Amino acid sequence: MTFVQGLLAGVDELRHKAHLFKIRNPFIYESIKFLFFSFFIILFVARGLNGLNYRWQWYRMSDYIYEITENGISAGPLLSGLRLTLFVSAVSLILSVVIGFVSALFRLSESVTAVIVSRVYLEAVRNTPLLIQLFLIYFVVSPILGIGRMLSAILALSLFEGAYTSEIIRSGIISIEKGQWEAAHSIGLSRVQTYRRVILPQAFRQVLPMLASQAISLVKDSALVSTIAIYELTMHGQVAISESFLTFEIWFTVAAIYLIINSCLSLIIHIFERRMNKVSI
Amino acid sequence: MKEKIIGETIIEVDSVSKTFDRRIKALRDVSLKVKQKEVVVIIGPSGSGKSTLLRCLNGLEETERGSIIIDDTPLDEHHKNRLKIRTEVGMVFQNFNLFPHMTVRDNIRTGPRFVRKEAIDEVDIRTEDLLEKVGITDKIDSFPRQLSGGQQQRVAIARALAMNPLIMLFDEPTSALDPEMVGEVLEVMKTLAHEGMTMVVVTHEMGFAREVGDRIIFMDEGKIVEESSVEDFFENPEKERTKLFLSKILDNGGCE
Ligand SMILES: Nc1ncnc2c1ncn2[C@@H]1O[C@H](COP(=O)(O)OP(=O)(O)OP(=O)(O)O)[C@@H](O)[C@H]1O
Ligand SMILES: [Mg+2]
Repeated sequence: MTFVQGLLAGVDELRHKAHLFKIRNPFIYESIKFLFFSFFIILFVARGLNGLNYRWQWYRMSDYIYEITENGISAGPLLSGLRLTLFVSAVSLILSVVIGFVSALFRLSESVTAVIVSRVYLEAVRNTPLLIQLFLIYFVVSPILGIGRMLSAILALSLFEGAYTSEIIRSGIISIEKGQWEAAHSIGLSRVQTYRRVILPQAFRQVLPMLASQAISLVKDSALVSTIAIYELTMHGQVAISESFLTFEIWFTVAAIYLIINSCLSLIIHIFERRMNKVSI
Repeated sequence: MKEKIIGETIIEVDSVSKTFDRRIKALRDVSLKVKQKEVVVIIGPSGSGKSTLLRCLNGLEETERGSIIIDDTPLDEHHKNRLKIRTEVGMVFQNFNLFPHMTVRDNIRTGPRFVRKEAIDEVDIRTEDLLEKVGITDKIDSFPRQLSGGQQQRVAIARALAMNPLIMLFDEPTSALDPEMVGEVLEVMKTLAHEGMTMVVVTHEMGFAREVGDRIIFMDEGKIVEESSVEDFFENPEKERTKLFLSKILDNGGCE
Protein backbone atom coordinates (compact mmCIF):
# COMPACT_ATOMS: atom_id res chain seq x y z
CA MET A 1 0.00 0.00 0.00
CA THR A 2 1.35 3.36 -0.97
CA PHE A 3 1.31 6.29 1.35
CA VAL A 4 -1.56 7.94 -0.52
CA GLN A 5 -3.66 4.81 -0.42
CA GLY A 6 -3.01 4.51 3.27
CA LEU A 7 -4.03 8.09 3.78
CA LEU A 8 -7.24 7.62 1.84
CA ALA A 9 -8.05 4.50 3.81
CA GLY A 10 -7.47 6.45 7.00
CA VAL A 11 -9.76 9.25 5.88
CA ASP A 12 -12.43 6.73 4.98
CA GLU A 13 -12.22 5.16 8.37
CA LEU A 14 -12.40 8.56 10.03
CA ARG A 15 -15.44 9.44 8.01
CA HIS A 16 -17.03 6.20 9.02
CA LYS A 17 -16.29 6.93 12.65
CA ALA A 18 -17.57 10.49 12.32
CA HIS A 19 -20.78 8.93 11.12
CA LEU A 20 -20.83 6.74 14.22
CA PHE A 21 -20.37 9.75 16.46
CA LYS A 22 -23.53 11.06 14.88
CA ILE A 23 -22.78 14.73 14.95
CA ARG A 24 -26.33 15.91 15.17
CA ASN A 25 -25.84 19.53 14.40
CA PRO A 26 -24.38 19.99 10.93
CA PHE A 27 -23.74 23.62 11.75
CA ILE A 28 -21.33 22.74 14.54
CA TYR A 29 -19.66 20.13 12.39
CA GLU A 30 -19.20 22.58 9.53
CA SER A 31 -17.93 25.25 11.90
CA ILE A 32 -15.33 22.92 13.32
CA LYS A 33 -14.21 22.03 9.80
CA PHE A 34 -14.06 25.69 8.88
CA LEU A 35 -12.01 26.68 11.91
CA PHE A 36 -9.70 23.76 11.32
CA PHE A 37 -8.95 24.78 7.75
CA SER A 38 -8.73 28.48 8.56
CA PHE A 39 -6.21 27.69 11.24
CA PHE A 40 -3.90 25.95 8.79
CA ILE A 41 -4.27 28.61 6.17
CA ILE A 42 -3.50 31.39 8.62
CA LEU A 43 -0.57 29.44 9.94
CA PHE A 44 0.72 28.98 6.42
CA VAL A 45 0.30 32.65 5.48
CA ALA A 46 1.79 33.85 8.73
CA ARG A 47 4.88 31.73 8.24
CA GLY A 48 5.31 33.09 4.75
CA LEU A 49 4.93 36.64 5.97
CA ASN A 50 7.44 36.07 8.74
CA GLY A 51 9.95 35.20 6.09
CA LEU A 52 9.27 38.57 4.44
CA ASN A 53 9.86 40.41 7.66
CA TYR A 54 6.78 42.50 7.10
CA ARG A 55 6.01 44.89 9.92
CA TRP A 56 2.27 44.88 10.49
CA GLN A 57 0.83 48.20 11.54
CA TRP A 58 -2.90 47.56 11.71
CA TYR A 59 -3.27 50.36 14.26
CA ARG A 60 -2.55 52.90 11.51
CA MET A 61 -5.35 51.57 9.34
CA SER A 62 -8.12 53.44 11.17
CA ASP A 63 -6.97 56.70 9.55
CA TYR A 64 -7.90 55.32 6.19
CA ILE A 65 -11.27 54.03 7.23
CA TYR A 66 -12.66 56.96 9.16
CA GLU A 67 -11.47 60.45 9.98
CA ILE A 68 -12.09 62.44 13.11
CA THR A 69 -12.58 66.14 12.42
CA GLU A 70 -14.09 68.99 14.42
CA ASN A 71 -17.47 68.08 12.97
CA GLY A 72 -17.29 64.55 14.29
CA ILE A 73 -16.51 61.31 12.54
CA SER A 74 -16.52 61.22 8.76
CA ALA A 75 -15.66 58.61 6.16
CA GLY A 76 -11.99 58.09 5.46
CA PRO A 77 -10.62 57.44 1.96
CA LEU A 78 -11.56 53.76 1.90
CA LEU A 79 -15.13 54.32 3.02
CA SER A 80 -15.69 57.19 0.61
CA GLY A 81 -14.22 54.92 -2.06
CA LEU A 82 -16.68 52.28 -1.00
CA ARG A 83 -19.48 54.77 -1.43
CA LEU A 84 -18.44 55.49 -4.98
CA THR A 85 -18.00 51.79 -5.75
CA LEU A 86 -21.53 51.17 -4.54
CA PHE A 87 -22.83 54.08 -6.57
CA VAL A 88 -21.06 53.07 -9.79
CA SER A 89 -22.08 49.43 -9.33
CA ALA A 90 -25.71 50.20 -8.53
CA VAL A 91 -26.22 52.53 -11.48
CA SER A 92 -24.38 50.20 -13.84
CA LEU A 93 -26.35 47.23 -12.57
CA ILE A 94 -29.66 48.90 -13.34
CA LEU A 95 -28.44 50.09 -16.73
CA SER A 96 -26.93 46.73 -17.59
CA VAL A 97 -30.20 44.95 -16.87
CA VAL A 98 -32.04 47.43 -19.09
CA ILE A 99 -29.46 47.04 -21.87
CA GLY A 100 -29.38 43.27 -21.47
CA PHE A 101 -33.14 43.08 -21.56
CA VAL A 102 -33.50 45.18 -24.69
CA SER A 103 -30.68 43.34 -26.40
CA ALA A 104 -32.24 39.96 -25.53
CA LEU A 105 -35.57 41.05 -26.98
CA PHE A 106 -33.82 42.35 -30.08
CA ARG A 107 -32.06 39.06 -30.46
CA LEU A 108 -35.36 37.17 -30.20
CA SER A 109 -37.34 39.54 -32.38
CA GLU A 110 -38.36 38.90 -35.96
CA SER A 111 -36.68 42.05 -37.24
CA VAL A 112 -33.44 41.24 -39.05
CA THR A 113 -32.00 44.65 -38.21
CA ALA A 114 -32.66 44.21 -34.51
CA VAL A 115 -31.10 40.76 -34.54
CA ILE A 116 -27.99 42.04 -36.31
CA VAL A 117 -27.63 45.01 -33.97
CA SER A 118 -27.77 42.83 -30.92
CA ARG A 119 -25.45 40.19 -32.41
CA VAL A 120 -22.82 42.80 -33.28
CA TYR A 121 -23.08 44.32 -29.83
CA LEU A 122 -22.75 40.96 -28.11
CA GLU A 123 -19.80 39.81 -30.17
CA ALA A 124 -17.97 43.12 -29.87
CA VAL A 125 -18.35 43.26 -26.13
CA ARG A 126 -17.68 39.66 -25.33
CA ASN A 127 -14.59 39.36 -27.48
CA THR A 128 -12.67 42.40 -26.29
CA PRO A 129 -11.26 43.08 -22.82
CA LEU A 130 -13.25 45.32 -20.51
CA LEU A 131 -10.17 47.46 -19.95
CA ILE A 132 -9.92 48.26 -23.65
CA GLN A 133 -13.64 49.03 -23.84
CA LEU A 134 -13.22 51.36 -20.92
CA PHE A 135 -10.32 53.17 -22.57
CA LEU A 136 -12.16 53.34 -25.88
CA ILE A 137 -15.16 54.92 -24.26
CA TYR A 138 -13.15 57.25 -22.09
CA PHE A 139 -10.56 58.39 -24.61
CA VAL A 140 -12.50 58.13 -27.87
CA VAL A 141 -16.23 58.19 -27.30
CA SER A 142 -16.45 60.54 -24.34
CA PRO A 143 -14.80 63.55 -26.08
CA ILE A 144 -17.17 63.03 -29.02
CA LEU A 145 -20.27 62.82 -26.85
CA GLY A 146 -18.92 65.32 -24.38
CA ILE A 147 -19.54 63.08 -21.39
CA GLY A 148 -17.46 63.06 -18.26
CA ARG A 149 -15.27 60.45 -16.66
CA MET A 150 -17.97 59.16 -14.36
CA LEU A 151 -20.50 58.65 -17.14
CA SER A 152 -17.84 56.95 -19.26
CA ALA A 153 -17.11 54.54 -16.47
CA ILE A 154 -20.77 53.75 -15.92
CA LEU A 155 -21.42 53.44 -19.64
CA ALA A 156 -18.49 51.07 -20.16
CA LEU A 157 -19.46 48.87 -17.22
CA SER A 158 -23.14 48.76 -18.20
CA LEU A 159 -22.41 47.90 -21.81
CA PHE A 160 -19.97 45.19 -20.77
CA GLU A 161 -22.15 43.52 -18.17
CA GLY A 162 -25.25 44.13 -20.28
CA ALA A 163 -23.93 41.75 -22.92
CA TYR A 164 -23.70 38.90 -20.44
CA THR A 165 -27.01 39.82 -18.84
CA SER A 166 -28.54 39.75 -22.29
CA GLU A 167 -27.45 36.17 -22.85
CA ILE A 168 -28.71 35.18 -19.41
CA ILE A 169 -32.10 36.74 -20.04
CA ARG A 170 -32.29 35.22 -23.48
CA SER A 171 -31.53 31.76 -22.11
CA GLY A 172 -34.30 32.26 -19.57
CA ILE A 173 -36.80 33.28 -22.21
CA ILE A 174 -36.04 30.40 -24.55
CA SER A 175 -36.21 27.93 -21.69
CA ILE A 176 -39.94 28.59 -21.36
CA GLU A 177 -41.80 25.90 -23.22
CA LYS A 178 -43.74 26.58 -26.39
CA GLY A 179 -47.00 25.61 -24.77
CA GLN A 180 -46.91 28.75 -22.65
CA TRP A 181 -46.76 30.93 -25.76
CA GLU A 182 -49.56 28.96 -27.33
CA ALA A 183 -51.80 29.18 -24.29
CA ALA A 184 -51.21 32.94 -24.12
CA HIS A 185 -51.96 33.22 -27.84
CA SER A 186 -55.16 31.24 -27.47
CA ILE A 187 -56.60 33.58 -24.85
CA GLY A 188 -55.77 36.55 -27.03
CA LEU A 189 -52.78 38.06 -25.24
CA SER A 190 -50.62 40.25 -27.47
CA ARG A 191 -46.90 39.64 -27.84
CA VAL A 192 -46.07 42.33 -25.30
CA GLN A 193 -48.68 41.06 -22.86
CA THR A 194 -47.42 37.52 -23.28
CA TYR A 195 -43.90 38.61 -22.40
CA ARG A 196 -45.05 40.71 -19.50
CA ARG A 197 -47.60 38.38 -17.92
CA VAL A 198 -46.46 34.92 -18.90
CA ILE A 199 -42.92 34.56 -20.21
CA LEU A 200 -40.80 37.05 -18.28
CA PRO A 201 -42.08 36.26 -14.78
CA GLN A 202 -41.17 32.62 -15.37
CA ALA A 203 -37.91 33.35 -17.16
CA PHE A 204 -36.84 35.74 -14.41
CA ARG A 205 -37.26 33.12 -11.70
CA GLN A 206 -35.36 30.70 -13.84
CA VAL A 207 -32.29 32.92 -14.27
CA LEU A 208 -32.22 34.74 -10.95
CA PRO A 209 -29.18 32.81 -9.68
CA MET A 210 -27.27 33.62 -12.87
CA LEU A 211 -28.26 37.28 -12.68
CA ALA A 212 -27.04 37.30 -9.11
CA SER A 213 -23.59 36.08 -10.01
CA GLN A 214 -23.56 38.60 -12.83
CA ALA A 215 -24.25 41.37 -10.30
CA ILE A 216 -21.37 40.13 -8.19
CA SER A 217 -19.09 40.15 -11.22
CA LEU A 218 -20.13 43.70 -11.87
CA VAL A 219 -19.11 44.84 -8.40
CA LYS A 220 -15.73 43.19 -8.86
CA ASP A 221 -15.26 44.52 -12.38
CA SER A 222 -16.02 48.02 -11.16
CA ALA A 223 -12.50 48.02 -9.68
CA LEU A 224 -11.24 48.51 -13.23
CA VAL A 225 -12.68 52.00 -13.51
CA SER A 226 -9.91 53.10 -11.15
CA THR A 227 -7.74 53.07 -14.28
CA ILE A 228 -9.49 56.19 -15.56
CA ALA A 229 -8.98 57.89 -12.19
CA ILE A 230 -12.41 57.33 -10.71
CA TYR A 231 -11.82 57.49 -6.98
CA GLU A 232 -13.64 54.35 -5.99
CA LEU A 233 -12.52 51.75 -3.51
CA THR A 234 -9.58 50.29 -5.40
CA MET A 235 -8.26 53.68 -6.46
CA HIS A 236 -8.39 54.98 -2.91
CA GLY A 237 -6.62 51.82 -1.79
CA GLN A 238 -3.78 52.46 -4.23
CA VAL A 239 -3.45 56.09 -3.23
CA ALA A 240 -3.50 55.19 0.44
CA ILE A 241 -0.73 52.68 -0.07
CA SER A 242 1.46 55.10 -1.95
CA GLU A 243 1.38 57.53 0.94
CA SER A 244 1.43 55.11 3.87
CA PHE A 245 3.21 51.96 2.62
CA LEU A 246 0.65 49.87 4.48
CA THR A 247 0.55 47.55 1.46
CA PHE A 248 -0.71 44.37 3.10
CA GLU A 249 -3.09 45.98 5.53
CA ILE A 250 -4.78 48.06 2.89
CA TRP A 251 -5.07 45.35 0.26
CA PHE A 252 -6.46 42.95 2.86
CA THR A 253 -8.95 45.59 3.94
CA VAL A 254 -9.98 46.43 0.40
CA ALA A 255 -10.42 42.74 -0.38
CA ALA A 256 -12.44 42.30 2.79
CA ILE A 257 -14.72 45.19 1.84
CA TYR A 258 -15.42 43.66 -1.58
CA LEU A 259 -16.04 40.35 0.12
CA ILE A 260 -18.53 41.95 2.48
CA ILE A 261 -20.40 43.80 -0.30
CA ASN A 262 -20.73 40.66 -2.33
CA SER A 263 -21.67 38.47 0.61
CA CYS A 264 -24.43 40.92 1.45
CA LEU A 265 -25.52 40.87 -2.17
CA SER A 266 -25.62 37.07 -2.18
CA LEU A 267 -27.59 37.04 1.02
CA ILE A 268 -30.16 39.52 -0.23
CA ILE A 269 -30.64 37.58 -3.43
CA HIS A 270 -30.87 34.34 -1.51
CA ILE A 271 -33.61 35.73 0.73
CA PHE A 272 -35.38 37.17 -2.29
CA GLU A 273 -35.25 33.84 -4.07
CA ARG A 274 -36.54 31.96 -1.03
CA ARG A 275 -39.42 34.34 -0.67
CA MET A 276 -40.31 34.05 -4.33
CA ASN A 277 -40.23 30.27 -4.15
CA LYS A 278 -42.60 30.37 -1.23
CA VAL A 279 -45.06 32.53 -3.09
CA SER A 280 -45.22 30.25 -6.10
CA ILE A 281 -43.62 27.62 -8.29
CA MET B 1 -80.95 13.62 -25.77
CA LYS B 2 -79.84 15.81 -28.64
CA GLU B 3 -82.57 18.39 -28.83
CA LYS B 4 -80.33 21.28 -29.59
CA ILE B 5 -80.89 23.17 -32.79
CA ILE B 6 -77.86 23.31 -35.02
CA GLY B 7 -77.35 26.81 -36.34
CA GLU B 8 -75.60 28.63 -39.15
CA THR B 9 -72.12 27.81 -40.38
CA ILE B 10 -69.59 29.31 -38.01
CA ILE B 11 -66.35 27.69 -39.18
CA GLU B 12 -65.57 27.47 -42.84
CA VAL B 13 -62.33 25.87 -43.91
CA ASP B 14 -61.73 25.90 -47.63
CA SER B 15 -59.00 23.79 -49.27
CA VAL B 16 -56.38 24.49 -46.65
CA SER B 17 -52.90 23.06 -47.04
CA LYS B 18 -50.01 23.20 -44.65
CA THR B 19 -46.45 22.01 -45.17
CA PHE B 20 -43.79 21.88 -42.48
CA ASP B 21 -40.12 22.26 -43.30
CA ARG B 22 -40.87 22.32 -47.06
CA ARG B 23 -41.63 18.60 -47.22
CA ILE B 24 -43.88 17.37 -44.41
CA LYS B 25 -47.38 17.73 -45.79
CA ALA B 26 -49.41 18.01 -42.62
CA LEU B 27 -52.62 19.14 -44.34
CA ARG B 28 -53.55 18.53 -47.96
CA ASP B 29 -56.47 20.44 -49.31
CA VAL B 30 -58.70 20.15 -46.28
CA SER B 31 -62.19 21.59 -46.39
CA LEU B 32 -64.60 21.56 -43.51
CA LYS B 33 -67.69 23.35 -42.30
CA VAL B 34 -68.88 23.46 -38.73
CA LYS B 35 -72.23 24.88 -37.72
CA GLN B 36 -73.15 26.70 -34.55
CA LYS B 37 -73.70 24.36 -31.57
CA GLU B 38 -72.29 21.44 -33.47
CA VAL B 39 -69.85 19.05 -31.80
CA VAL B 40 -67.37 17.69 -34.30
CA VAL B 41 -65.03 14.92 -33.27
CA ILE B 42 -61.81 14.43 -35.21
CA ILE B 43 -60.04 11.12 -35.06
CA GLY B 44 -57.19 9.58 -36.98
CA PRO B 45 -53.78 7.98 -36.56
CA SER B 46 -50.77 9.81 -35.16
CA GLY B 47 -49.33 12.33 -37.58
CA SER B 48 -52.48 12.57 -39.64
CA GLY B 49 -52.74 16.32 -39.14
CA LYS B 50 -55.47 16.54 -36.49
CA SER B 51 -53.57 18.93 -34.24
CA THR B 52 -52.38 20.96 -37.19
CA LEU B 53 -55.95 21.44 -38.44
CA LEU B 54 -57.09 22.52 -34.99
CA ARG B 55 -54.16 24.89 -34.57
CA CYS B 56 -54.86 26.49 -37.92
CA LEU B 57 -58.38 27.30 -36.74
CA ASN B 58 -57.17 29.80 -34.14
CA GLY B 59 -54.14 31.04 -36.02
CA LEU B 60 -51.51 29.08 -34.08
CA GLU B 61 -50.27 27.80 -37.42
CA GLU B 62 -50.20 29.79 -40.62
CA THR B 63 -51.89 28.18 -43.58
CA GLU B 64 -50.19 28.46 -46.93
CA ARG B 65 -53.13 27.83 -49.20
CA GLY B 66 -56.88 28.02 -48.82
CA SER B 67 -58.94 30.12 -46.51
CA ILE B 68 -60.44 29.94 -43.05
CA ILE B 69 -63.46 32.01 -42.08
CA ILE B 70 -64.67 32.03 -38.52
CA ASP B 71 -67.85 33.81 -37.51
CA ASP B 72 -67.76 35.74 -40.80
CA THR B 73 -64.24 36.94 -40.07
CA PRO B 74 -61.53 35.75 -42.46
CA LEU B 75 -58.37 34.51 -40.75
CA ASP B 76 -56.08 36.60 -42.95
CA GLU B 77 -53.05 38.77 -42.39
CA HIS B 78 -55.06 41.54 -40.74
CA HIS B 79 -54.06 41.81 -37.14
CA LYS B 80 -57.53 42.89 -36.07
CA ASN B 81 -59.18 39.85 -37.62
CA ARG B 82 -56.64 37.50 -36.15
CA LEU B 83 -57.08 38.96 -32.69
CA LYS B 84 -60.85 38.72 -32.96
CA ILE B 85 -60.59 35.07 -33.92
CA ARG B 86 -58.11 34.30 -31.18
CA THR B 87 -60.44 35.71 -28.57
CA GLU B 88 -63.52 34.01 -30.01
CA VAL B 89 -61.94 30.59 -30.30
CA GLY B 90 -60.89 28.95 -27.05
CA MET B 91 -58.36 26.14 -27.05
CA VAL B 92 -57.63 23.34 -24.61
CA PHE B 93 -54.30 21.57 -24.97
CA GLN B 94 -53.18 18.04 -24.29
CA ASN B 95 -50.67 19.24 -21.71
CA PHE B 96 -52.98 21.83 -20.12
CA ASN B 97 -50.39 24.61 -20.54
CA LEU B 98 -51.56 26.42 -17.45
CA PHE B 99 -49.39 29.35 -16.38
CA PRO B 100 -47.37 27.78 -13.55
CA HIS B 101 -46.50 31.06 -11.83
CA MET B 102 -50.12 32.13 -11.46
CA THR B 103 -52.82 30.91 -9.12
CA VAL B 104 -55.88 29.24 -10.56
CA ARG B 105 -57.71 32.54 -10.20
CA ASP B 106 -55.07 34.47 -12.12
CA ASN B 107 -54.87 31.82 -14.81
CA ILE B 108 -58.56 32.27 -15.44
CA ARG B 109 -58.82 36.03 -15.19
CA THR B 110 -55.70 36.99 -17.16
CA GLY B 111 -57.51 36.91 -20.52
CA PRO B 112 -60.62 38.85 -19.50
CA ARG B 113 -58.57 41.42 -17.58
CA PHE B 114 -55.85 42.17 -20.05
CA VAL B 115 -57.40 41.31 -23.40
CA ARG B 116 -61.01 42.23 -22.81
CA LYS B 117 -60.07 44.91 -20.26
CA GLU B 118 -62.99 43.98 -18.06
CA ALA B 119 -63.50 45.38 -14.59
CA ILE B 120 -61.90 43.17 -11.98
CA ASP B 121 -65.04 42.69 -9.85
CA GLU B 122 -66.93 41.42 -12.83
CA VAL B 123 -64.10 39.08 -13.79
CA ASP B 124 -63.83 37.74 -10.25
CA ILE B 125 -67.49 36.84 -10.15
CA ARG B 126 -67.20 35.05 -13.47
CA THR B 127 -64.03 33.27 -12.35
CA GLU B 128 -65.88 31.82 -9.38
CA ASP B 129 -68.83 30.81 -11.52
CA LEU B 130 -66.55 29.08 -14.00
CA LEU B 131 -64.71 27.21 -11.28
CA GLU B 132 -68.02 26.05 -9.92
CA LYS B 133 -68.96 24.89 -13.38
CA VAL B 134 -65.81 22.79 -13.74
CA GLY B 135 -66.11 21.63 -10.13
CA ILE B 136 -63.00 23.14 -8.51
CA THR B 137 -64.20 25.81 -6.12
CA ASP B 138 -61.80 25.06 -3.29
CA LYS B 139 -58.63 25.44 -5.34
CA ILE B 140 -59.03 29.00 -6.47
CA ASP B 141 -55.87 30.19 -4.74
CA SER B 142 -53.78 27.10 -5.48
CA PHE B 143 -51.03 26.95 -8.03
CA PRO B 144 -51.29 24.54 -10.95
CA ARG B 145 -48.56 22.27 -9.59
CA GLN B 146 -50.72 21.66 -6.52
CA LEU B 147 -53.52 20.20 -8.63
CA SER B 148 -54.01 16.77 -10.15
CA GLY B 149 -53.90 16.42 -13.93
CA GLY B 150 -57.67 16.23 -14.17
CA GLN B 151 -58.07 19.35 -12.07
CA GLN B 152 -55.48 21.19 -14.13
CA GLN B 153 -57.28 20.34 -17.33
CA ARG B 154 -60.57 21.53 -15.89
CA VAL B 155 -58.94 24.81 -14.90
CA ALA B 156 -57.59 25.07 -18.44
CA ILE B 157 -61.12 24.66 -19.76
CA ALA B 158 -62.31 27.37 -17.38
CA ARG B 159 -59.49 29.63 -18.54
CA ALA B 160 -60.59 29.25 -22.15
CA LEU B 161 -64.26 29.75 -21.24
CA ALA B 162 -63.45 32.94 -19.35
CA MET B 163 -63.05 34.69 -22.69
CA ASN B 164 -66.67 33.79 -23.54
CA PRO B 165 -65.61 32.03 -26.74
CA LEU B 166 -67.99 31.12 -29.53
CA ILE B 167 -66.05 27.99 -30.32
CA MET B 168 -63.97 25.63 -28.21
CA LEU B 169 -61.17 23.52 -29.65
CA PHE B 170 -59.91 20.51 -27.73
CA ASP B 171 -56.69 18.76 -28.73
CA GLU B 172 -56.64 15.35 -27.06
CA PRO B 173 -57.67 16.87 -23.74
CA THR B 174 -57.63 13.59 -21.85
CA SER B 175 -54.71 11.72 -23.34
CA ALA B 176 -52.14 13.05 -20.84
CA LEU B 177 -54.32 12.07 -17.90
CA ASP B 178 -54.30 9.07 -15.64
CA PRO B 179 -57.28 6.87 -16.55
CA GLU B 180 -59.19 7.65 -13.37
CA MET B 181 -59.17 11.35 -14.19
CA VAL B 182 -60.42 11.09 -17.76
CA GLY B 183 -64.05 10.90 -16.68
CA GLU B 184 -64.14 14.17 -14.76
CA VAL B 185 -62.78 16.12 -17.73
CA LEU B 186 -65.14 14.44 -20.20
CA GLU B 187 -68.04 15.26 -17.88
CA VAL B 188 -67.22 18.96 -18.09
CA MET B 189 -66.94 18.72 -21.87
CA LYS B 190 -70.27 16.93 -22.12
CA THR B 191 -71.93 19.64 -20.06
CA LEU B 192 -70.50 22.23 -22.41
CA ALA B 193 -71.79 20.31 -25.41
CA HIS B 194 -75.27 20.07 -23.92
CA GLU B 195 -75.24 23.80 -23.29
CA GLY B 196 -74.80 24.30 -26.99
CA MET B 197 -71.14 25.22 -27.25
CA THR B 198 -69.69 24.78 -30.71
CA MET B 199 -66.86 22.29 -30.25
CA VAL B 200 -64.17 20.70 -32.36
CA VAL B 201 -62.61 17.87 -30.42
CA VAL B 202 -59.64 15.71 -31.30
CA THR B 203 -60.02 12.63 -29.15
CA HIS B 204 -60.02 8.88 -29.18
CA GLU B 205 -62.65 8.68 -26.48
CA MET B 206 -65.32 6.95 -28.53
CA GLY B 207 -67.81 6.96 -25.66
CA PHE B 208 -67.67 10.74 -25.66
CA ALA B 209 -68.04 10.86 -29.44
CA ARG B 210 -71.12 8.64 -29.36
CA GLU B 211 -72.74 10.52 -26.54
CA VAL B 212 -72.36 14.15 -27.58
CA GLY B 213 -70.75 14.13 -31.03
CA ASP B 214 -72.84 15.28 -33.97
CA ARG B 215 -70.32 14.48 -36.62
CA ILE B 216 -67.11 12.49 -36.85
CA ILE B 217 -64.23 13.29 -39.12
CA PHE B 218 -61.61 10.70 -39.83
CA MET B 219 -58.25 12.07 -40.99
CA ASP B 220 -55.30 10.29 -42.48
CA GLU B 221 -52.12 11.63 -44.07
CA GLY B 222 -53.30 15.21 -43.92
CA LYS B 223 -56.65 14.55 -45.57
CA ILE B 224 -60.19 14.14 -44.41
CA VAL B 225 -60.88 10.55 -45.39
CA GLU B 226 -64.37 10.17 -44.07
CA GLU B 227 -66.93 12.50 -42.66
CA SER B 228 -70.26 11.29 -41.37
CA SER B 229 -72.81 11.46 -38.62
CA VAL B 230 -71.85 9.63 -35.44
CA GLU B 231 -74.40 6.85 -35.99
CA ASP B 232 -73.29 6.13 -39.53
CA PHE B 233 -69.68 6.29 -38.58
CA PHE B 234 -69.86 3.52 -36.01
CA GLU B 235 -72.56 1.39 -37.66
CA ASN B 236 -71.36 1.35 -41.26
CA PRO B 237 -68.11 3.16 -41.98
CA GLU B 238 -67.59 3.47 -45.71
CA LYS B 239 -63.84 3.42 -46.23
CA GLU B 240 -61.55 0.46 -45.59
CA ARG B 241 -59.04 2.74 -43.92
CA THR B 242 -61.65 3.89 -41.42
CA LYS B 243 -62.76 0.35 -40.63
CA LEU B 244 -59.19 -0.68 -39.97
CA PHE B 245 -58.58 2.26 -37.67
CA LEU B 246 -61.89 1.79 -35.86
CA SER B 247 -61.24 -1.86 -35.22
CA LYS B 248 -57.84 -0.92 -33.78
CA ILE B 249 -59.02 1.70 -31.34
CA LEU B 250 -62.11 -0.22 -30.34
CA ASP B 251 -59.95 -3.26 -29.62
CA ASN B 252 -57.64 -1.16 -27.51
CA GLY B 253 -60.54 -0.26 -25.28
CA GLY B 254 -60.75 3.20 -26.72
CA CYS B 255 -64.50 2.88 -26.21
CA GLU B 256 -64.27 3.44 -22.44
N1 LIG C 1 -44.00 22.34 -35.82
C1 LIG C 1 -43.82 21.32 -36.66
N2 LIG C 1 -42.68 21.23 -37.37
C2 LIG C 1 -42.48 20.22 -38.24
N3 LIG C 1 -43.36 19.24 -38.45
C3 LIG C 1 -44.52 19.26 -37.77
C4 LIG C 1 -44.80 20.29 -36.83
N4 LIG C 1 -46.02 20.06 -36.30
C5 LIG C 1 -46.46 18.93 -36.87
N5 LIG C 1 -45.58 18.45 -37.76
C6 LIG C 1 -45.75 17.25 -38.60
O1 LIG C 1 -46.98 17.38 -39.25
C7 LIG C 1 -47.65 16.13 -39.31
C8 LIG C 1 -49.00 16.25 -38.67
O2 LIG C 1 -48.82 16.49 -37.29
P1 LIG C 1 -50.01 16.65 -36.27
O3 LIG C 1 -49.42 17.01 -34.98
O4 LIG C 1 -51.03 17.55 -36.83
O5 LIG C 1 -50.60 15.19 -36.19
P2 LIG C 1 -51.69 14.60 -35.23
O6 LIG C 1 -52.71 13.97 -36.07
O7 LIG C 1 -52.10 15.61 -34.25
O8 LIG C 1 -50.89 13.44 -34.49
P3 LIG C 1 -50.95 12.96 -32.97
O9 LIG C 1 -52.10 12.01 -32.88
O10 LIG C 1 -49.66 12.25 -32.78
O11 LIG C 1 -51.10 14.16 -32.12
C9 LIG C 1 -46.74 15.13 -38.62
O12 LIG C 1 -45.99 14.47 -39.61
C10 LIG C 1 -45.86 15.99 -37.80
O13 LIG C 1 -44.60 15.38 -37.64
MG1 LIG D 1 -51.86 15.90 -32.14
